[in-house]
Amino acid sequence: MVNPILLIVVPLGLAFTIPLFGFISKKIEKYVPVIGMLFNLCLSIFFIPKVLEHPIIVSLGGFPPPFCINLFVGPVAIFFSAIISLVGFLVSIYALNYIKEGATEKYHMLYLLLLTGATGVVLTGDIFNLFVFFEILCISSYALVAYLQNKEGIESAVKYLIQGAIGSSLMLIAIGLLYGQFGTLNMADIAKNISSVSSMSLFVPLVLFITGLGVEGAIFPLNAWLPDAHSSAPSSISAILSGIAIKIGIYGIARIVFTVFGASSLFMFFVYLGLITLLIGEFSAFRQQNIKRMLAYSSIGQIGLIVFALGIATPYGVSSALFQLLSHALSKALLFLSVGYMIYRAGSMNISDLEGMGKRMPLASLAFTIGAFSLVGLPPFMGFASKFLIVRAALANGGVLFIMLIAVVLFAAVIEGAYFFRVVQVFYFKGQRSDIKREEAPVTCLIPLFILVILIIVIGVYPRFIMNILNSAGSELINRVGYIKGVLG
Amino acid sequence: MDISTVVNFLTNYVYYIGCFGLILIGLYIILVKSNLIKVIIGLSILDTGVNLFLISIGYIKKGTAPIFSKSGIEAKNMVDPVPQALVLTAIVIGVAVLALALSLAIRLYQHYGTLNLRKIREQKW
Repeated sequence: MVNPILLIVVPLGLAFTIPLFGFISKKIEKYVPVIGMLFNLCLSIFFIPKVLEHPIIVSLGGFPPPFCINLFVGPVAIFFSAIISLVGFLVSIYALNYIKEGATEKYHMLYLLLLTGATGVVLTGDIFNLFVFFEILCISSYALVAYLQNKEGIESAVKYLIQGAIGSSLMLIAIGLLYGQFGTLNMADIAKNISSVSSMSLFVPLVLFITGLGVEGAIFPLNAWLPDAHSSAPSSISAILSGIAIKIGIYGIARIVFTVFGASSLFMFFVYLGLITLLIGEFSAFRQQNIKRMLAYSSIGQIGLIVFALGIATPYGVSSALFQLLSHALSKALLFLSVGYMIYRAGSMNISDLEGMGKRMPLASLAFTIGAFSLVGLPPFMGFASKFLIVRAALANGGVLFIMLIAVVLFAAVIEGAYFFRVVQVFYFKGQRSDIKREEAPVTCLIPLFILVILIIVIGVYPRFIMNILNSAGSELINRVGYIKGVLG
Repeated sequence: MDISTVVNFLTNYVYYIGCFGLILIGLYIILVKSNLIKVIIGLSILDTGVNLFLISIGYIKKGTAPIFSKSGIEAKNMVDPVPQALVLTAIVIGVAVLALALSLAIRLYQHYGTLNLRKIREQKW
């Protein structure tokens, strides 16, 4: 039987061998992330049917849990690991041609480390181990934001680093407080004993955890770093940050709040917090002239929608939140990747400078349009199915309150539509710039775009394809007792 | 409240008071100072406070290292080794963050000619 720890070990090992490959030949180092992520993708897909039957618990070091660090490979973990490796694989193909300048071996190494950290966070069942993998993710993303070493990149990396470092220190304090009260770091063991402690002494660690993870997850008051960092990183890194890194923060919050603390009184707070984040993100995106900043603010809005759906906290609500998360990861990766070469050709990030791209780069523009339509939620694409499920989950929860909240969500979707259609209009129906030749993006860019478009359409038309894993992932997050029993027996 | 309860409180909680004092000083420096180097020093102080906090959770007065080298040592006098292992990891992570922050500070100075964060405002909402 294959051990799921290979999902972490193989990319971590490959990341540190990249400089060695660089000694042999400068040409092979860029294929290492492709191989590592392809391996992870195959392994994740291989594990899906097994995990759906019963979760796999891996005890490291030969002790039984709670004395060891254990991995909990349940439906949620394998779902996230599949998304991470899928997006990571496609973006690493894109980067083969896109990343040419600078210290490329460092780029590929940090890129693999970022994805290793993300995979580790979703697989682990130990809060300190979660912190360590989270730091691997954060530190490599600080460095990758500054990769181009231009003015904007350095400035936004500094902002991101300061805010992220405060966030992770707060998280470490929370871990210390929990260890002081429970004498264990195992999530399941803490979750089992959580009711034996007064709720006042749990409040501080819970708040510190939500704040610390919320910085990476870009929930409303903590999202100041995101638009700068996402817009000044190289486009391939923006795709990874938007598609994966912020989702890991959301995963951490969901795991801590649902499984470890079981804090059911906070769910309505998350509904409102998500709604505020959604509105702030969409309104700010509406007034942007810079296309990458617009996409970054749109990410904040989508994170708000995911948090809103998580706050509904019924099995329907949580599984629709995970579906929205998948939909946003694929669509936003598609948008950033397709826009990357347009910006490269046009030499500017202003939306008005991209006019006529529909004629100059037809395939990339078509991919952008499909990604935008999916994000807005038009019917044949994946975004429609996910938004529809969120609306259904909110209405099934009942009450006049949720009907009004859903009205606000749909209003935000209208704003989203307005600014995405404006970009599509500039691509196809405005004048043309004569200084740009008609030249399509290279094949290494078109392959990931094509695969993402196919996935968005196929899952949009036939969502039942993934509903199985989504439903069991949703019930895993809701069902704390099952998690505790799964680990501790 | 007589003086002995205050002294008792202080002797029992002096580590916690000290480390949360360091954490608050670090946060104050990060939020108020405008020089990037000072902010990085603030981050370092914040890290130190958190590490001290973790250590003091598992500390026992006059405790020994948790090694069964001599016969007759009882387990109740040993300090908890887990927080110390955590702090080792946290120190390494802190060093990595500081090194990255300082190298970014060098680059920032090359681009802007200043380390004053109030003057570096290229990007706005």
